[in-house]
Amino acid sequence: MSYFIDLVIVGLSLGMVYGLVAIGISLIYSGLDVVHFAHGEIYMLGAFIGLWVFNTFGLPFPLVLLASMIITGLIGVVIERVFYRPILKSGGGYTVAGMAMVICGFGMAFVLQNIAFLIWGPRSLPFPVTFGMPIEIGNLTLPSSYVWIVAAALVLMSALHLFLKKTRLGLAVRAVAGNKDIAYLMGINVPLTISVTFGVACALGAAAGVLVGPINYVHVLMGLGILIKAFAAAVIGGFGSLPGAVLGGLLVGVVESLGAGYLSGNYKDIYAFILLIVVLMIRPAGLFGILAKVKA
Amino acid sequence: MLKTTDVTGGYGSVQILNGVSLAVERGKIVALLGGNGTGKSTMLKALSGLIKPWSGEILFDGERIDGMRPDLIVRRGLVQVTQGKEAYPGMTVEENLLLGAHIRTGRAVRARALERSYAYFPILKERRKQLTGTLSGGQLQMLCVARGLMSEPKMMLLDEPSAALAPQVVLDIFRAVARICRDGMTLLLVEQNVRMALLLADYGYVIKDGVIHLEGPAETLISDEAVRLSYLGGTVADRDRKLSM
Repeated sequence: MSYFIDLVIVGLSLGMVYGLVAIGISLIYSGLDVVHFAHGEIYMLGAFIGLWVFNTFGLPFPLVLLASMIITGLIGVVIERVFYRPILKSGGGYTVAGMAMVICGFGMAFVLQNIAFLIWGPRSLPFPVTFGMPIEIGNLTLPSSYVWIVAAALVLMSALHLFLKKTRLGLAVRAVAGNKDIAYLMGINVPLTISVTFGVACALGAAAGVLVGPINYVHVLMGLGILIKAFAAAVIGGFGSLPGAVLGGLLVGVVESLGAGYLSGNYKDIYAFILLIVVLMIRPAGLFGILAKVKA
Repeated sequence: MLKTTDVTGGYGSVQILNGVSLAVERGKIVALLGGNGTGKSTMLKALSGLIKPWSGEILFDGERIDGMRPDLIVRRGLVQVTQGKEAYPGMTVEENLLLGAHIRTGRAVRARALERSYAYFPILKERRKQLTGTLSGGQLQMLCVARGLMSEPKMMLLDEPSAALAPQVVLDIFRAVARICRDGMTLLLVEQNVRMALLLADYGYVIKDGVIHLEGPAETLISDEAVRLSYLGGTVADRDRKLSM
């Protein structure tokens, strides 16, 4: 029984990480009408920047997390302004420009990987944060790194929720995601709001990278796997839905962890996709995909 | 307050507007009338900045606004009230309204704007926590008018407030709009429903094939049967016949 609970806890904390990346992918999809295929590399970049801040300034972990989010968010804004915006000017989604954007995303992924390779080299680097003693609840022992991941992710998700629901800018982000022309008529600076959306999405991806750092190594190619998992999470939850992205992330994390624990660890990466296939067979629009919006 | 001179424009290579000149004086209600496909929606987009005019000039408050980004036009005090179907269905009524006050910062200012809108449309206050998608067509249109007021504009462009609504509901909305104008709003009313629009307006322009074909004070236009028959097409006449029943 405690083995089962251990697996679920590991799965949930991993799921939170998938959820954070999936939220970013969903945010970008709803704001820019494109799937951002370089988001795994943003996650990787976030982890490296976090590690760099940690090693250079020796800040405590929460500040490392925050610093990496801010720096990566700003890098994201620059990437969006310089590379994606000119392409997206003529439309997104299923248009020719939308296709160009998908390809540009893949290209960006390779560029970011190679930049990271030039700066940090090909080795896996440790992220030597100490979180202190495991936390004991009853006869259950929780490694504190996992507790950290879950807590930090919950804080970030709540902050995002409050931002979108309660602030003027958050409302604008939702309006732009809904309909850009109407958003313009409300007096919203749409290009600026899109930059904000992209920056926030990248900051969340970076947070996921920094949170995973201490339990895994930080590596140039760490973004490859997470993109597919987070993508599966976003689709399972209903593409474009933020609560769906979180739920999808948690499901993917738990199923993967249980599968690895009880069936075989060798096929760890397959379980997420079996789940994806099953969900899409039962609910083609994803779990929360009630208002499936056709992008064009 | 608003003056356009020979505005041309369209989409891609298709020209819709062939030189539209009209003027709206401060404090007046002016109607821009036309059937489907006459260019009135395109003209509206040119005024609110959603499309760039190809040539011509749009002056608002003495400043050229043609080709300006839409949000900057809103900041200058010219707001387009969208049709009811263009409220955000997934947001609450109050969120939709607050969106209209995007250019206004400060909690007190936004709260005051909200109260002002609720004063014109008390039903919206009752429904303020409700999802916008659950409102009726008339309430949606009221929401959009109220949302337009939220930025405290100098002038509003009203996009077919009568579209797809029952005559009784249209009358309710027009009464509220008349009240708003009595309180000092300048209005350009873009309508298919000629009879209704001319009840409200001081002056009217009839647009067809992207040019102004006829203009005059509302009383003159309303008595002019030729307006309806020659410029406004069958569908409008049908609806008017239904109205009179």
